[in-house]
Amino acid sequence: MLDNAFWLTNARLETGYHYENGIVTGTKTEPFHLRIEKGKIIELVKADRPIETNLPKREAHNYLLLPSFRDMHIHIDKTYYGGPWKAPSIPTKGLLTRLEEEEDLLPRLLPGAEERAKKLLDLVLSSGSTHIRTHCNVDPFIGLKNLEAVLSAVETYKDKVSVEIVAFPQHGLLRSKSVTYVREALRMGASLVGGVDPATVDDNIEKSLHMVMELAVEANANVDLHIHDPGHLGIFTFKRLAALTEEAGWQGRVTISHALAFADISTKEASEVAEILSHQGISITSSVPIGRTIPIPLLQSKGVSISLGDDSITDHWSPFGKGDSLEKAGTLAERFGLSDERSLGQTLGYITGGVTPLNKEGKSIWPNVGDNANLVLVDASCSAEAVARRAERKAVIFNGKVVYGALT
Amino acid sequence: MNSNFWLTNAGLETGFQFDNGIVTGTKTEFFHLLIKNGKIEQIISADEILTDDLPKKDAKHLLVLPSFVEKHCHLDKTLLGDRWRAVTPVKNIFGRFETEKTVLPTLETSTQERAEKLLDIYLKSGVTHVRTHVDLYPEVGLKNLEEVQKALQTFEGKLSYEIVAFPQHGLLLSNAKELVREAVRQGANFVGGVDPATVDGDIEASLQEMVELAVDGNVGIDLHLHDADHLGIFTMKRLAKLTKEAGLQGKVAISHAFGLGDISEVQAEAMAEILEDAGITIITSVPLGRKFPPVGLLHRKGVSVAVGCDNIFDVWSPFGNGDVLERGGGV
Repeated sequence: MLDNAFWLTNARLETGYHYENGIVTGTKTEPFHLRIEKGKIIELVKADRPIETNLPKREAHNYLLLPSFRDMHIHIDKTYYGGPWKAPSIPTKGLLTRLEEEEDLLPRLLPGAEERAKKLLDLVLSSGSTHIRTHCNVDPFIGLKNLEAVLSAVETYKDKVSVEIVAFPQHGLLRSKSVTYVREALRMGASLVGGVDPATVDDNIEKSLHMVMELAVEANANVDLHIHDPGHLGIFTFKRLAALTEEAGWQGRVTISHALAFADISTKEASEVAEILSHQGISITSSVPIGRTIPIPLLQSKGVSISLGDDSITDHWSPFGKGDSLEKAGTLAERFGLSDERSLGQTLGYITGGVTPLNKEGKSIWPNVGDNANLVLVDASCSAEAVARRAERKAVIFNGKVVYGALT
Repeated sequence: MNSNFWLTNAGLETGFQFDNGIVTGTKTEFFHLLIKNGKIEQIISADEILTDDLPKKDAKHLLVLPSFVEKHCHLDKTLLGDRWRAVTPVKNIFGRFETEKTVLPTLETSTQERAEKLLDIYLKSGVTHVRTHVDLYPEVGLKNLEEVQKALQTFEGKLSYEIVAFPQHGLLLSNAKELVREAVRQGANFVGGVDPATVDGDIEASLQEMVELAVDGNVGIDLHLHDADHLGIFTMKRLAKLTKEAGLQGKVAISHAFGLGDISEVQAEAMAEILEDAGITIITSVPLGRKFPPVGLLHRKGVSVAVGCDNIFDVWSPFGNGDVLERGGGV
């Protein structure tokens, strides 16, 4: 539609690094005008060139333009966000406490679930994320009703943010006999098969993983499993999942969320297991937990694609979470001591699906003509500053439409 | 006095909600608080009608908490208000000293301006008391102290403060004894220090000189101690001993105290007893990239623990936002 076409004027883009004695000491930027049409970047010109056009102009006021963010692990179906404060209870029976709570809690939250999901989408949107992957409970207690609420919220927001839904048998695919719920969820609009701890929740690693892969193949769906299981129990599960991924030919279609076992083993072993995952194109999503962080830079250096997610945003599992992917990237940088210009700037890739304005050598690789216009304007001089300082988001553009903030 | 007023409709916590003996929530009620001469003079239920002529400020049912204390920052180091710079990689702490020494004098903004920028952020995040370290080394002399004092003076009446005379480049190593002595004369409230082992190279001599300066100036101590595991623990034990000998109990703090995070729980408990006995406070910045002291354990053992943001966008770290409440959330 032509009425969506406009020029985004005076947007600052990164063009290279400053070097001093071979060390990156800063980032060069220049202002550009971008013509945006049909949800894509159609033309890019330096801002010192006048543009003659009848199209509307929207002024970026020299704010830095970045690719918009992705929150790849969140639960929008069971949040307290938008409702009254409630701290999680003390889980005297561990995970079981949480699962038992859900039996009553989810039906009670259901009437407001769609509204809260929408509020949460507003929150992530305002922080610059235009793509999220949400897990959605499917289980005997809530059935497919949370999914219905989420689907409805997602439909309302479809012009603002793209959402992938994981059919998530929180109470155990086998343990809670949720196979039929997952199957039905995939028909209704969920696009990934979820799961949780095949060992400690389902009590049968092999059978649980087989079922996951069977469901995935049957529905031609990707897979995203929560695996918190510690130490070599978790590692063994990863290896079995990798083997089944290969058997099914599901390379590039499987994600492990949390993968906490990587925090428990030696660097040498972590490298070896990372290579196995990388070989099968298995990606990892981490919420960068403060207490038990997996060696994210190491895993990435071994070729594993890593994304970040907020996970719980104030719910009965955790009272924390801000819904801000840039905050997550900053936490990651802080956690791993990535505080030089290049390392900070490259950290952005963890929340953009790997897209950074500059590559490691300082060559400008984004944006390009033809790219989707999924953009965020921030009050920073470069990506490194944006990550370190968690720069203020000024505007967010999704498929060429301003979906947060004002651009005049 | 015209500063007397009623803070009306303020939310205050009044108790826990229990469910089968378990705390499931917090009860709050609304109150009017009479603020007179800088103190809370009266607290009455918001149901009561105010009949006097004092001015009223409406808290609009927001929750009222005691304001926050920032117990460890460096007002003289921050780059806030100046242009963005990431951290330049260096081999060790001595390389960082060099960078700091060369970068700070080249900035376009003054130390005072940058310190004021940071104080502004603190105020907005709810902080009304700040303990700042101020670098003292031969090249900078007392200039940082003077600039920080000027900045703090512009915030007079808005927040209170304490200043630590901090020989960043080593009390012994940079021969800073007289500078520290002079800083204390000019108003610094604490003698500072850093890693008696790895920076000064002589734990005993460094600690002795620090304690001597504190006793001479009749001030307290706040030592930066990053030294790891048993090196840090040994240093803490020596400081605890010297603290008691000098009668400085209750006036000494150890910032960072990373060693406490590196040892077993049993060892940490034993060390906590020594710290408690010497009245030594532990100050942590709740770092993300490193193990830090077991705050809960220390607290349980009666050791006073405080939190500070430490570096906020300076040549040491590009991170930090001056929000002590967020640091508390991190704990």
